[in-house]
Amino acid sequence: MHNSSQLRKEFIKKWIHGLQICCSSKKHMNLMERKKKIKLSADIALASAKNATTSWSKALIADVKIDEENMILINNLSGPESKFVGAHDQRVTCHKRIRSKKILKKSCGVGKRIKRMGSRRSDLATCIAERLVKKRTKVLKRLVPGGESMDEVTIIKEALDYILSLRVQVDVMKNVVNATGVLD
Amino acid sequence: MSSRRSREAPRITDDQIIQLLSKLQQLLPEIRNRRSNKASASKVLQETCNYVRSLHQEVDDLSDRLSQLLSTVDANSPEASIIQSLIM
Repeated sequence: MHNSSQLRKEFIKKWIHGLQICCSSKKHMNLMERKKKIKLSADIALASAKNATTSWSKALIADVKIDEENMILINNLSGPESKFVGAHDQRVTCHKRIRSKKILKKSCGVGKRIKRMGSRRSDLATCIAERLVKKRTKVLKRLVPGGESMDEVTIIKEALDYILSLRVQVDVMKNVVNATGVLD
Repeated sequence: MSSRRSREAPRITDDQIIQLLSKLQQLLPEIRNRRSNKASASKVLQETCNYVRSLHQEVDDLSDRLSQLLSTVDANSPEASIIQSLIM
């Protein structure tokens, strides 16, 4: 259900609005500051253009909210705050739940591993494959906003949507940079 | 309490996961050019991570460039007024 042209329009609107807010407040920013503001408004614009339909977008906004300075941008770009409220709290409690599950799993897994050692070689290949998949899933969870608290299926779905959205972001930013470059 | 609730949720089938992974595979630039259906789950996940990282890096670089461009805009030129009215 990814409508990319709709997302593009929403993103462009919100990002330009965000840039106006950021760049008008301080006339003389150094390069680093301006770059951070540009990136921040792009990220917030992208996440709020999703309109709270995906977990990663909610998590991104929740992360950004931690810094109080960003509230002006968030309030202007994402409209009614209620959609994103509680996303951060949900993640904190999810973390606790997952941590206790992990401790339980680890204590149960040792017995299984000892049994597995005695079985055939083909199982070894499966074992290695499973380990690789687990390792890579862990890395992916760190890359997608809010990924730490997702299960295997959700992280893949969210990664799909996240990649499509990131592409839109990159595409629009490239066009803006080229247009600005031509005007200079 | 909460674990009991999650056990009642429908079990995720292998087919579902395979489907999702193949969708992901379609998006990845690396694997798409090779023969399809040949990539393993771990390969797809690895390429996904690499792709997300490269997209993040692109956003970062583009923000850099835009910042430099906006700072070098000559304040008196007609072009500046266009950019200023649009972005600043």
